[in-house]
Amino acid sequence: MPILTCAGLSKSFGGTKALDGVDLTLEPGRIVGLLGPNGSGKTTLLKLANGLLRPSAGKILIDGKEPGVETKKIVSYLPDRACVPDYMTGAQLMAFYGDFYSDFDASAAKAMMERFEIDGRAKIKHMSKGTREKLQLIAVMSRRARLYLLDEPIGGVDPAARDVILGTIIANYDPSATVLISTHLIADVERVLDDILFLKSGKIVLAAPAEELREKHGKSVDEIFREVFRC
Amino acid sequence: MLGKLMKYELRATSRTMLPILGVMLLVSGLANLAVRWMNTDRLPAALSVILGLSMVAFILGLISLGAITVFVMVARFRNNLLRSEGYITHTLPVSVHAQIWSKVLTAALWYAAAIVTIVLSVVLLVLDVDFIRGLTDALGDILRLFTDFNNVEVLVELLVILFLESVAMSLMIFAALSVGHSFSSRKMLASVGVFILFAVLTQVVSGVRVSMVPDAGLAAGTETAARGFMESWRITCGHLALGAIVSGGIYYLITAWFLKNRLNLE
Repeated sequence: MPILTCAGLSKSFGGTKALDGVDLTLEPGRIVGLLGPNGSGKTTLLKLANGLLRPSAGKILIDGKEPGVETKKIVSYLPDRACVPDYMTGAQLMAFYGDFYSDFDASAAKAMMERFEIDGRAKIKHMSKGTREKLQLIAVMSRRARLYLLDEPIGGVDPAARDVILGTIIANYDPSATVLISTHLIADVERVLDDILFLKSGKIVLAAPAEELREKHGKSVDEIFREVFRC
Repeated sequence: MLGKLMKYELRATSRTMLPILGVMLLVSGLANLAVRWMNTDRLPAALSVILGLSMVAFILGLISLGAITVFVMVARFRNNLLRSEGYITHTLPVSVHAQIWSKVLTAALWYAAAIVTIVLSVVLLVLDVDFIRGLTDALGDILRLFTDFNNVEVLVELLVILFLESVAMSLMIFAALSVGHSFSSRKMLASVGVFILFAVLTQVVSGVRVSMVPDAGLAAGTETAARGFMESWRITCGHLALGAIVSGGIYYLITAWFLKNRLNLE
C-alpha cells in the first residue's frame, strides 16, 4: 500500500489556489524531493498531510487513512520554521517527544545531540537559531516513523551545516520508511534523492526517478529545475 | 494522552502562575503587618512606606488576580495552539478534544488555586488583627439580625459560581481566538471583534433568561424577607451555574470545530 496518496487534491485560500488537482502516490522506502520555487504549494501539501489544513477538494491519505490521530503516530514532521517551546531545555524537548511518540528512540537522540555538541541542559531560548533548527531535526529524526515530511530542512543553515544535516537524515531514517524533502536548494539535496517531484503553481509538472531524469536529459536535476522554472 | 498533555500544560503555566500566587501571599503577609502597625509611631519612614504600598498591592492583587489568571491561560492557549508552537502541538497523536480539555482542566485547576489563594490572602490579612476581627464580627452580627443569611453557604456558592464563570469565560475567549485566528490576516483584531460579538450575545441571552426567572421570594411563598433572600440567592446561583455550563459547552464546540476544520497557523 502507498504510504501517501493524493487524488485530485486542491487547496484554495480565498481566491488563490495553492494546490490544484494534485495526483500523487509515494511508495515506502524512497527518498523523494518535493522541489519547486517559493509559493509553488510545497508547504501547503505538507500541512495537508499533517492535518494542519483541510483540503478544499480531493483527498489525501496516509497509509490509506485521512490525516488524524492514527496517521500522526507514523508521520514525523519537520516544519519550515523553528517552533519548539523555548522555555524547555534540549533534554526536556527530547523527553516531550518520548512521552508522546512510542517510536521515539531516546538513545539515538542523545547520540545526535552529542555529535552536534548540543548541551541538553541549556534552555532552548538561549540557543542560536541554527542550534534550535538542529535540535528540532534531531527530535524529528529520532523517531522510527514510516513517513518523514521535512519542510526546508536545510533552508536556514549555512552550506557546511547542510551536509551535516543531510548526513543526519540519511543516517537516521529507517530504509523501509519514506522521506519527503521539500526544498528549493536542489544542488545540495540532489545526491540523496531517489525520486523527484516538481511542483509549479500548485500542480505536479514532473514526477520521475532522479537517475532516470539525469539520463534522459543529460543534465543534473538542478539544471533541469532551472529550465523548468525559468522566469 | 490527556494526562501527558496536562503534565506539560501544568509545567508550562506553573512557570508564571506559581510566582504570581506566591507574590500575592507574600503581599498579604506584608499587608497584615501594615494593618497591625498602622497606628504605631515608632516605625521608620521607609518601612511605613513599604507597608503602605503592600496594602495597596494587596487590594490591587485581590481585584486583579482572577483577570491575571484568565490572561495567563488565554496566552497559553494562543501560543500553544494558534501560533508557531501549534506546528508541534497539532501534530501530536492526540485529538483536538484532548487538546482543549487539557487547556480547560489546567485553567480550572489554576482558577481553583487562585480562589484558594484569595481566601488564604484574606485570612493572612486578618490573622490575629483585633481591629479587623472586631469589624467582621460586628458585620456578621448585623446581617444575622436582619436575615437568616448563611455566610458559609453564600461564600461556597459564590466561589463555585466564580469558578464556573471563569471556565465559561475562558472557553468564550478560546472560541473567539479560534475563530479570529482562522482569518488570513489581522488575526488578533478579528479575535477581539469575535469576542465582543460573543460577549454581547451571551449577555443578551443571559438577560432574556434572567427576566424569565420568577420572583424567588414570591414563588417560594416564603413568610419572611430573610427566607426570601436565601431562596432568591439559591435560584440565582442555580441559573448562573446552568448558564455558565451551557454557554461553556457551546463555546467548547465552536473551539473544537474551528481548530479541526479552520486551523490557519501563522
